Amino acid sequence: MGERGRGCCPPMDLMRSEPMQLVQLIIPIESAHLAVSYLGDLGLIQFKDLNAEKSPFQRTYAIQIKRCGEMARKLRFFRDQMSKAGLPPAARSVTQDTSLDDLEVKLGDLEAELVEINANGEKLQRSYNELAEYKLVLHKAGEFFHSALSSAEAHQREQASNQTGEESLETPLLSEQETAIDSSKQVRLGFITGLVPRDKSMAFERILFRATRGNVFLKQATVDEPVIDPASGEKVEKNVFAVFFSGERAKNKILKICEAFGANRYSFHEDLGKQAQMITEVSGRLSELKTTIDAGLVHRGNLLQTIGEQFEQWNFLVRKEKAIYHTLNMLSIDVTKKCLVAEGWSPVFATKQIQDALHRATQDSNSQVDAIFQVLHTREMPPTYFRTNKFTSAYQEIVDAYGVAKYQEANPGVFTIVTFPFLFAVMFGDWGHGICLLLATSYFIIREKKLSSQKLGDIMDMTFGGRYVIMLMSLFSIYTGLIYNEFFSVPFELFAPSAYVCRDPACRDATTVGLIKARDTYPFGVDPAWHGSRSELPFLNSLKMKMSILLGVAQMNLGIIMSYFNAQFFKNSVNTWFQFIPQMIFLNSLFGYLSVLIIIKWCTGSKADLYHVMIYMFLSPTDELGENQLFAGQKMTQVEQSVDGEILFSPYSILIISDETLVLLLLALVSVPWMLLPKPFILKMQHNRHQGESYAPLPDTEESLQSGANNDSHGHEEFEFSEVFVHQLIHTIEFVLGAVSNTASYLRLWALSLAHSELSTVFYEKVLLLAWGYNNVIILIVGIIIFIFATVGVLLVMETLSAFLHALRLHWVEFQNKFYEGDGYKFYPFTFTLLDNEEE
Amino acid sequence: MGFLVTTLIFVVVGVIACLCARICCNRGPSANLLHLTLIITATVCCWMMWAIVYLSQMNPLIVPILNETE
Repeated sequence: MGERGRGCCPPMDLMRSEPMQLVQLIIPIESAHLAVSYLGDLGLIQFKDLNAEKSPFQRTYAIQIKRCGEMARKLRFFRDQMSKAGLPPAARSVTQDTSLDDLEVKLGDLEAELVEINANGEKLQRSYNELAEYKLVLHKAGEFFHSALSSAEAHQREQASNQTGEESLETPLLSEQETAIDSSKQVRLGFITGLVPRDKSMAFERILFRATRGNVFLKQATVDEPVIDPASGEKVEKNVFAVFFSGERAKNKILKICEAFGANRYSFHEDLGKQAQMITEVSGRLSELKTTIDAGLVHRGNLLQTIGEQFEQWNFLVRKEKAIYHTLNMLSIDVTKKCLVAEGWSPVFATKQIQDALHRATQDSNSQVDAIFQVLHTREMPPTYFRTNKFTSAYQEIVDAYGVAKYQEANPGVFTIVTFPFLFAVMFGDWGHGICLLLATSYFIIREKKLSSQKLGDIMDMTFGGRYVIMLMSLFSIYTGLIYNEFFSVPFELFAPSAYVCRDPACRDATTVGLIKARDTYPFGVDPAWHGSRSELPFLNSLKMKMSILLGVAQMNLGIIMSYFNAQFFKNSVNTWFQFIPQMIFLNSLFGYLSVLIIIKWCTGSKADLYHVMIYMFLSPTDELGENQLFAGQKMTQVEQSVDGEILFSPYSILIISDETLVLLLLALVSVPWMLLPKPFILKMQHNRHQGESYAPLPDTEESLQSGANNDSHGHEEFEFSEVFVHQLIHTIEFVLGAVSNTASYLRLWALSLAHSELSTVFYEKVLLLAWGYNNVIILIVGIIIFIFATVGVLLVMETLSAFLHALRLHWVEFQNKFYEGDGYKFYPFTFTLLDNEEE
Repeated sequence: MGFLVTTLIFVVVGVIACLCARICCNRGPSANLLHLTLIITATVCCWMMWAIVYLSQMNPLIVPILNETE
């Protein structure tokens, strides 16, 4: 980038962004990977994408990125498994250099092993669940048969006893014996046993009944505890059922119905002996399976543990490699010369470091050819880079939130470091609350190191990031609290006795006419006599409103002076003569004059009405002011024309006030066309002069590879006169109207400080003092608790946020629109430190 | 204590703060200039606020009128 003037002042840190240069690196292919890795460690170069037209799949290193993506997927799988098993990954341990290929192989092996263990574990678990169900079926169905058998035996015994007892003439000859013999052959029932989910059991029964036309017998028994279903792995309440049927067709229907209802079937033997055998066998297998499953879990746990130790490191390595390959994809490849060409922005001060890094990469990769580093000249606007430390970075972020500074324009952040906490404090002024804020923020600052490595929530993160801002805010709040003389709204006589005393020893007139100022002015801050008096608000309102105007005019003047520094730096004399000077004249002839009047009124104690003075300055500037005069004229006629003789003579007379007013008004009126008209014409003349030079010197330094697209943006600058004129018109109107509205906007300093002190007074008088008045300990304690909650919730949290927001607005709008353009873009270097904070 | 005397005190405090900053963290001319600017801005802000409040009380147009209960 071309040289810019230094202007009138020596360079100051943070005032202007770092000078940047467009560099071109030509790196041989064999050292490219290492070179990019070292440059990433350095973190001072922002690569431009030279392959923007290519799709991601056409780029050189697409395969490598796919590999990295695969490895990242495997790592995500491991992380899932670890979190399911409840093992958090350990913090990053000492780095061991593993190459990417080794890591790929290792990850593949580990994944295969883990998947296998998982599959086996699932199979075993399923078998275990099935066996558990089988055991239940054996148990419950056994009970059916047992009870049925015992009742059948009882019945048979009854019948037998009946039969043996009755051998009379009435016994039928054949039928009963036949039926008795045949009965054993007629029992040809089949049965099916199994488990059905309880919520489906009613429907199951009904459908079985209907499908077999009532020719089945279903017996169900509930299982007390929920059973783990083998198919789904969840606990379900089930019933054991036994259904008795006869015939093949019935059997098929029942089988199909069981399948439809998800009822698991298990085979069952009638024989008691076999039942007992099955039960023991199943129990044995269950315990075996349990031990196997436990062993499997332990093995898996160990595997996950080993993975967990190295996990963070592998994760970082994979992300780093992916970032390196993404960057390598941005470089353009020159196949014939077997090298890669990189272009990027870097700060001028980093030149040596970059060259060192390239040299080291060449050496480490045993390459024959060294990388080439050269600076390109271009007309593109460089990115903005401020070197901030942990203290100034928060302020810079506040400024950047509104707009990133254009390359090398004056940075409002410099003054924001002091004026932002100061304006906050003007709205917050209470030294008790300031001390509370200071304690809160010193907690953050003292435990800075520990908290910065932890992951805090969103709100805590923001508060922690702004800890230095809040610290300055609280220090200034303590100062302004001492000036407003408010400690949780209570004033103290800290510096000298109050200036006001009763008019007479009996103090009779104190509540009607008031006190009188007998002693010297209270030396530091607001006199404590004002608090709680009836005329407190008129006095404080007048004081705070005038203070807001004075502070506002001062800050706006500072803004206009910053625009002067910008004009000097960019050697733009048009802006100096036709923007800065008329703006200063306009603002100061109106509002600077008002500020001077305020100060003179305070110094002389005159009773002049400043509203009247200012308004009549516009309405009838040539009239005499009568009792609103502030300076005595040199002409005696001014004094003789006075009405009540309430004019106070000032020995420092300057001009007759009506003349003064007229002059200032004329100056203000002249400055408006001065801002509006000359600049567009001068710019047009300058443009015509440039166009007239048909021979421009050829650029003899190298141009960037991408400059072809950007050339016509400068070479054939279109100059639309109407556009420039309208732009200047808008700027002028904005400034002129803004002068009034911005000055009034500063009155929010008054409004918020009034709100804060009133809230504070209410909480103190209506909560604490009220509770104190009852002379009851419990009410006092309740009162204190309410007071603390109200103070913390409303005053310390809500008012802080509110004052923060308004101070921010005053800076962003009223201060910055006097000089700030803020249309730059931020410098995002290629660095690995950001990967730590990334979350996939 | 008088307006001018206290203004002088503010000036002296500002100068002492600048010297302290120069002694404690001397980090090159541009950083020093930044520190100087910050300290001067802070001193001017604080002085302005004090001066405004002091001047407004020097020749008051209204006086405190106490409440009946006091």
